[in-house]
Amino acid sequence: MANFVVWVVWLAAGLACLGSGVAVVSFTNPFFSALALIANLGSLAVLYLLLAAEFVAAAQVLVYAGAVMVMFLFVIAYLGGQADAPWAGGPTWQRWAAVIAAGALLLEIVMVIGFKAGGRLSDEADITEAFGSPAQLGRLFLTDHLLAFEITSFVLLIAAIGGVILGAHSRRADQVKEVEALQRAQEAARV
Amino acid sequence: MRGPDVTWYLAVAGVLFATGSLGVLLRRSPLIVLLSLEIMLNGANLALIAFARQQGDAEGQIFALAVMAVAASEVVVGLGLIVALARRNVALDVDKLTTLRG
Amino acid sequence: MVAPAWICLLAPLAGALAITLLGRRISRRLAGLLSTGSVAVAFAAALLSFLAALGRDPDDREATSTAWTWLSAGDLEIGLSILVDPLSLVMMLVVTGVGALIVAYSIGYMHDDPEERRFFAYMALFVFSMLTLVLAGNFLILLVGWGLVGLASYLLIGFHHERTSAVAAAKKAFIMNAVGDAAFVLAFFLLIVETGTLDYAGVFGRADELSGTVATLVALGLLGGAVAKSAQIPLHTWLPDAMEGPTPVSALIHAATMVTAGVYLVARMHPLFEAAPSVQDLTAILGAVTLLFAGLVALVQTDIKRVIAYSTMSQIGYMFVAVGIGAYGNGMFHLMTHAFFKALLFLAAGIVIHALLGEQDMRQMGGLRRLLPRTWVFMLVGALALAGMPPLSGFFSKDAIIASSLAAGGGLGYFLFAAGLAGALLTGIYTFRLIFIVFGGEPSPSVRERLHTEHGEGPVSMTATVAVLGVLAVVGGAVQIAGIWHPFADFLDPIVALEREHLALVEPSVTEDWVTSALAVGLGLAGIGIAWRLYGAGRREVAAPRAVRHALEHKLYFDELYNGLFYWPASGIARAFRSLVEGPLIGGSVTGVSSGARGLGRGVGHAQTGYLRTYALAIAAGVAVLALVFVSVR
Repeated sequence: MANFVVWVVWLAAGLACLGSGVAVVSFTNPFFSALALIANLGSLAVLYLLLAAEFVAAAQVLVYAGAVMVMFLFVIAYLGGQADAPWAGGPTWQRWAAVIAAGALLLEIVMVIGFKAGGRLSDEADITEAFGSPAQLGRLFLTDHLLAFEITSFVLLIAAIGGVILGAHSRRADQVKEVEALQRAQEAARV
Repeated sequence: MRGPDVTWYLAVAGVLFATGSLGVLLRRSPLIVLLSLEIMLNGANLALIAFARQQGDAEGQIFALAVMAVAASEVVVGLGLIVALARRNVALDVDKLTTLRG
Repeated sequence: MVAPAWICLLAPLAGALAITLLGRRISRRLAGLLSTGSVAVAFAAALLSFLAALGRDPDDREATSTAWTWLSAGDLEIGLSILVDPLSLVMMLVVTGVGALIVAYSIGYMHDDPEERRFFAYMALFVFSMLTLVLAGNFLILLVGWGLVGLASYLLIGFHHERTSAVAAAKKAFIMNAVGDAAFVLAFFLLIVETGTLDYAGVFGRADELSGTVATLVALGLLGGAVAKSAQIPLHTWLPDAMEGPTPVSALIHAATMVTAGVYLVARMHPLFEAAPSVQDLTAILGAVTLLFAGLVALVQTDIKRVIAYSTMSQIGYMFVAVGIGAYGNGMFHLMTHAFFKALLFLAAGIVIHALLGEQDMRQMGGLRRLLPRTWVFMLVGALALAGMPPLSGFFSKDAIIASSLAAGGGLGYFLFAAGLAGALLTGIYTFRLIFIVFGGEPSPSVRERLHTEHGEGPVSMTATVAVLGVLAVVGGAVQIAGIWHPFADFLDPIVALEREHLALVEPSVTEDWVTSALAVGLGLAGIGIAWRLYGAGRREVAAPRAVRHALEHKLYFDELYNGLFYWPASGIARAFRSLVEGPLIGGSVTGVSSGARGLGRGVGHAQTGYLRTYALAIAAGVAVLALVFVSVR
């Protein structure tokens, strides 16, 4: 019985995932694409739960769907009409080449999973209750993967600084423009 | 494990990845390209988590968390770039942004 | 004995360094005083060393002192060592004594030159180099001194570097010396291979064991170096050109000291030369040939300094004859007296040149006897000494050599004897030709124009030093009167103790001495007489067969020969290399690399379309290919 429920949940989440993925790529309006992405993230969280990765699922919802997507939506709201750009465009050969490339990637993944891995993928490890728990992940982060942890925080800091710099008003340019405008006005007044 | 076997999850991950790459290669709006990029990253994350479950090793989840953090950083910078472009009235069309032409 | 020798060696170096480092912070006069002072200190130290040596037993007058081991390669150990023995003491005294006088003279002579400091630094450097050469305790230090002396000579000949002729002369001197040095060094290599050491004691001890061929080759190599440094045929063409240097340089380097280094060398290396008698004979023959050649060419020279230069070449020929037949004591004696009267001649000529504002052409001079009376006396003394007139020093030393060649006997001995006498005749002619042309007759219009003697004939520094040299030229012969007393030869005897009783291989008998002296003096007087006949009445030049005159004026075409043999082929090859190799290959490869890189960059740049999607596609395609590769290869 439990197995059946799991299968149903899996199917639903999986189809939602794939569907929203296609939707993100195909909508013209970026706003709808963003919403589709949120749906994608949600379904992925469900799949993570099925894979006994509770903490990651929670993080996904909080960080990805909660913070990153909100940022996206802010920007889309700010840019508004400017973001509408039609599909495709560019040289035709590129379109076909893109499809072929993506298809090749997919094919390879399938081949690896199907043929190369053999039957080994069916061997599943037994896991305990503690698997994927915050305690275990926390311990791993602070002992075996401390370097990755610290570097990741560093990367986030750099991204934040980069964001500030990119978004800052170039006050000097504005001031220069103001001064020039003032000068022109004065000249006109003198004449 | 109850429910589908790791292979199914991997299949989903693979299709997600391929879809995302299609989006990156075929869309003209930088915003949509960024969104497609997120799809690709999520596909990779799913694969990682699936393998973590299969191996019984939580390191895959650690990796996935790191990927998430990095993806967030990359989105910040990418969006910052797009906003800066928009403020200078540059067309948000990937085919027109060719200043780095060699 | 040794400690003063070290001071003697290092004092001029200290002087040179001080002048160099202080640069413009000291006045020009102070630079001159520093230089003179350092050489004077060296002379004092040499004197101390000499007196200490006198206080010892005749057999105990040799001492080696090693500062530290300089080179150690396998079995070969070479130290920074000096050898103090009678031979080196004689040279030290001559070099520092005459050197100090000449450097003092230069204070007056170089007074108007803005680059005086550089001159004095170079002079001190030269004295140091010469002392290194003379005091060396092994072949390697000798080579160091040899090379340094060549360097100092180059620097001083080319002192007036704005003049292309001076620069060319300096290069010529250096290159010819380098040829000699090459032969020199080859001899060293052979010595290292055959005897395993470069110490004098070690090599000389084993000189008898060397096979004939090896000994001959070694001696030939050493002779090559000596011939180059002493300007004997065939490596002599640089000496006349070296007169481009200031007169004190000509006096010190190209008369008194450096050019005599070759003579010193043969005397020092006499065990090696005696082990190769054919080379020793060659030395004597070369000396005789040079003696005659130089005497002949001097007859037609018009530049006052060139006459004296050829005279130097000729006198060194005499010294080579002496050491070539084994009369080392007499050779060194002539070296000493020659230093005195040749320096005297050069410096007095310098006073003349200085008074005439740089004129060196004898044809523009004349009648200076009444206008420069003191200089006239000095030069007369020098000329008489050079011509070998008793009782001046040259008489004793030169005749001793000629007598020794008579005593050596055999065909070679008689040839050398005849050559020596002929040389005496020629010496008389060309020396007094100079005297009569420059000082006799009436003052020429050029002289009247240029002569300035408001402050006397010259500054005190110049006249006083010349006077001292004059005195030395007169009394210098007193240390050895052939047959009667020879403290000089006795002093030099125990160089490198050998089984022989006396150093000299030949000892002329008293009869031979008297006969020789009579002949030599007679011929000398005859030469003076001929010169009086031809030039005394103020006549300038003499009619002679055109071909002969032409040949002599071109110095028997040696320069043209060397030009054709060496210079033209070398410069042709150099030009060919430049156009064929340097331009296209070397320059071309460098520019080729840069243009290749640029072209490659341009080609690759075509891939930078600027389109984001093309880039992304490239990445995706690349990943696909790579994944395929990894998957299939496994």
